[in-house]
Amino acid sequence: MLLAFRCAFASKRVAATAIEANEFPQLSQELGVWAVPRIVVDGEPRWDGAVPEPEFLRRILA
Amino acid sequence: MREWFAELERPVELLVALGPEETPRAGAGDVDFGAEMVRVCEGIAELGDSVSCRVEEEPEGFPRFPSVSVRPEGRDAGVRYDGLPWGYELGSIVGAIVEAGREEPTLRPESVAALDELERDLAVDVFVTPT
Repeated sequence: MLLAFRCAFASKRVAATAIEANEFPQLSQELGVWAVPRIVVDGEPRWDGAVPEPEFLRRILA
Repeated sequence: MREWFAELERPVELLVALGPEETPRAGAGDVDFGAEMVRVCEGIAELGDSVSCRVEEEPEGFPRFPSVSVRPEGRDAGVRYDGLPWGYELGSIVGAIVEAGREEPTLRPESVAALDELERDLAVDVFVTPT
């Protein structure tokens, strides 16, 4: 989670939001959240799980 | 936490947004998520002179409640936590405060360079759970 926050602090172009899945079950269901962390970029589910910084950047910028 | 917050290079504001809440999954009991959010964030703010906490009812730009925005020098940097940051996730808020309190990002230089080349806005949402 912190990696997404760090990207947002580093760039005015990036917004990063952590969403507590249990508190927002409807949204979680819509996005098929079965495992955490689930990373969603511009509303599209991308992947589950933590990845190293270079890979994280590569994936969100793809 | 007091030691980390004492080293902040600039003030950090926690803006807690309260409003109508979605009914959470079964098992949440009678938890008042909004009240807990205020309690947690005010408690965090008490641990550092450079950390402050403000509470607003349904401020603009918050689609879900409760939520907390972590703001370097009171500026909206696009960093938000929707829901109560309890359990291990408390560390995400504390980490965000420490990062917000730094003048320079802690990302690798090549990561910062890649972000500098962004020509469009990017929204990264990370779904988490407390454990």
